[in-house]
Amino acid sequence: MEPKKDGVKRRAFLKTAVASLAAAALAPGLLSAGRFQSDSLQVWSCGGLSEAFMEANGLYEQRNGVQINYTGAFAAALGKSLLGGAVTEVFAGRVLQLAQNLRTAGKMLYFRPLCFTEYVLITPLGNPAQIQTVQDMARPGVRVILPLGASPPGGDAVMGILKKAGVDQAVLKNTIEKESCVIKMMPQIISGEGAASIVERRLTRMDRFAGKVEVIPIPEALFPPGPLTFTIGVMKYAKDRALADDYVNFICSDEAQAIFDRHGFIPAASAKGRTLIEKLGVKDV
Amino acid sequence: MSNQTAISKPDGFFLPKVRRGIQAAMLAVMGQWAFYGIFRCPFLVPFVNCQVCPIITCWGRITSYFWGFWLFLPLSVLFVGRAFCGWLCPGGFVNQMIGKLSFAKLRVRNRVLKFAPLGMGLGLLIVLALWFGLDNPRSMVPIRVGEFWGSLRLSFEHASPYWLVRTFVVLGLVAAGLFIANLWCRFACPTGGLLELFKGMALFRVFKTSACNDCDACLRRCEMGTRPDEVNCTNCGDCLKTCPVDAIKFGRKRKSDE
Repeated sequence: MEPKKDGVKRRAFLKTAVASLAAAALAPGLLSAGRFQSDSLQVWSCGGLSEAFMEANGLYEQRNGVQINYTGAFAAALGKSLLGGAVTEVFAGRVLQLAQNLRTAGKMLYFRPLCFTEYVLITPLGNPAQIQTVQDMARPGVRVILPLGASPPGGDAVMGILKKAGVDQAVLKNTIEKESCVIKMMPQIISGEGAASIVERRLTRMDRFAGKVEVIPIPEALFPPGPLTFTIGVMKYAKDRALADDYVNFICSDEAQAIFDRHGFIPAASAKGRTLIEKLGVKDV
Repeated sequence: MSNQTAISKPDGFFLPKVRRGIQAAMLAVMGQWAFYGIFRCPFLVPFVNCQVCPIITCWGRITSYFWGFWLFLPLSVLFVGRAFCGWLCPGGFVNQMIGKLSFAKLRVRNRVLKFAPLGMGLGLLIVLALWFGLDNPRSMVPIRVGEFWGSLRLSFEHASPYWLVRTFVVLGLVAAGLFIANLWCRFACPTGGLLELFKGMALFRVFKTSACNDCDACLRRCEMGTRPDEVNCTNCGDCLKTCPVDAIKFGRKRKSDE
């Protein structure tokens, strides 16, 4: 029986636990104390980037003790709101022209290239219709499902690819369903109801769809240039410019860009990304 | 109606309080999903496409609520008919609270009220046509992740006219509950209409025995403005102790009870 010794141990354990809890509770605030005036940042982005942003935001919040109030939705809608009266501090939108319009309107202070998307063919596992190219979708009897009713650029981009490949009318004849939502469409390809479709690669990286479809690249020459580009910029409404700049720097860092890569995007910081920046002219001038 | 009796509140009858407690608990549990269904769901018919929905933060997708709900609902009908409406539905709870403030309780029997519940059937037909006929189109820009008020504002700002009509019709009918108590639940709810169709097969129910003298004391107590085992009865049990001749029972209804 050594009750005293046991008691000391218990007290030490409790002290350590309380100290750890206090440190955990205070750490985020201490991390940001002195660095930034604000302890929160409002960020809006294109909905397609949501999964990647949520992961990157978690990391940034953990490191800096800053709360990221994040909204991810259809970029054109957010852009329309921002060009109207809506306000956010950082905006990551799709389509270069939108960022340029926000700059011209004096709403955005600057923007940087963030990442790029790419389109792929998807088929059920095993590729029962033996689809290898966009042209294969035009073969008689191939059951095609296309997200033609999806919000832009969903349907428009897919039609652009088919037109450039010269098979738009033939593929439309094969189309058994025109879906209003790309996410709603995916299970129809997974189940084999449809033999092929065209989506952004990011769809094939979502947790619920990863590994459940065959992914076949589409030649870059067929991509419509407009929807490929995502930018990130600081808005004039940024309450703490240093914080907004720091956040944008983090999102454009190799560490955060790796997150966007995992979610199916081409990081702007990658070799391919740098090529696309030049090719598509993604520059804030 | 000479044999009417006044509405009595029997002492020691705690079932309505238990029911309110369960409804409040269910509002806490399912309220977020219900809220998303009305205000954030991008599809015209909410609650049926959760597994393929682009909204990231809705509990209908990220929890087991969707499967749990659609597996539980048929089972609940098999055992206790429309009890979901009276005991568990968060929307029903909200409607009943609004109904307490309403000008007209309409706890009477007449020709109009006899046919008004057909509105639930109409609502059900519209839902089925949108769901199966038009494949439940997405008709609102999905706010995949977002702050509470900001997402609401963006939803309404960028929704299609179809989504706006759907949402304002639902909200309007719920708000009309201020004038006619429980108008949505009694005369419009498609889910209620679906359950109403199948509640006849329920094993257990609140019912009237042959001792009933049509005094309608139960009707005047009922938030749904009905009598046991009739159209719109949700087996809530509020009427169990109101009958002056003790003609209301709960359990298996036997031939001898009719």
